[in-house]
Amino acid sequence: MAVTFRNGCCQFIRTCWRLRSHGLQLSLQKPIGGLLPALVRQQSSQILKYPPNYVPETSLSRPPWPEVKIIDPAEEAKQHQDVVQKVNTLLEKGDYGRLFAVVHFASRQWKVTNEDLILIENHIEAECGDRIRMEKVLLVGGENFTLVGRPLLGRDLVRVEATVIEKTESWPKVHMVFKKRKSFQRKKIIIQPQTLLRINSIEVAPRLS
Amino acid sequence: MVFLTFPCLIRNRGPDRYWRIQEVLKNARHFRGRKNRCFSLAVRAVRRAFVYATKGRQLKKRNMRTLWISRIAAGSHEHGMRYPVLMNNLVKSSVQLNRKVLSDLAISEPRTFQSLAKLARVRQEEGFRAALGDGSEPAGVLSRVVLLQ
Repeated sequence: MAVTFRNGCCQFIRTCWRLRSHGLQLSLQKPIGGLLPALVRQQSSQILKYPPNYVPETSLSRPPWPEVKIIDPAEEAKQHQDVVQKVNTLLEKGDYGRLFAVVHFASRQWKVTNEDLILIENHIEAECGDRIRMEKVLLVGGENFTLVGRPLLGRDLVRVEATVIEKTESWPKVHMVFKKRKSFQRKKIIIQPQTLLRINSIEVAPRLS
Repeated sequence: MVFLTFPCLIRNRGPDRYWRIQEVLKNARHFRGRKNRCFSLAVRAVRRAFVYATKGRQLKKRNMRTLWISRIAAGSHEHGMRYPVLMNNLVKSSVQLNRKVLSDLAISEPRTFQSLAKLARVRQEEGFRAALGDGSEPAGVLSRVVLLQ
């Protein structure tokens, strides 16, 4: 009869038990302890049944980049159409409350609503009381919709109007440079012109495409 | 001032010492200790204050930008994205909103920020699809992939 590993282990363990019953001390407790779990594992693996094509999962089972979903272009176009329809109906009914807009003005971007005050740190070529239209609008939104420009929204889509309230100068800011032990100091007083604008209205036109 | 003789005019040290000193002390009135009263101490303290104010105006711009960036990062983590991914994909979609406005939107307009995050995610997946391709070789290239197909 061919001697298998498992048969040999079982015989070994049976002889150990017989010897222990006779009162002999065995110095081989640890190897037996190490062998027993392997035997238990071997027995338990016979109970589980794996499908024939089973490959255990490793770190190389899937690529390191995330899975990308394949999108049907017709379905995508339909979804876009639905969204545009909803926004169009909203705009036509005038079903929006307070609108906010992101406007690019005086080399800065401002998030602006009705009745807002804006302080601009330079001179504008408009007199006090003049009504101004801000043309570079990047984003317009209400409670239930947002229109994001890439990068700007069309001129016939949004209209942001503001009035020049005040043209003053800033408080005298001190620009001072000092180097110790070198007798070097420069002092300059900077007064910048300022303009105060009040945003009067933000209007959105219907008919998007 | 009126001087009756020429030597008196020459020997006068100047009429406006008081006002020249007050000009410096008025900037030091809210300081602590003798620096708010005694001119020689006040001059040095006022000079340091002006220099710190000048440097602070440069630092303020940097600190505000880091603050905006951390706020945008927090907002994008709420929507399952990271800050560099969001900014990169918004730039690629030619949305030129700056960090100040994006942080304001993240705070006060959560729905708009969510729509921007979704836009960035869609653009990211488009980029992945373009990079991975459909598994076919580019036109005009002959290789094992083409032969096996």
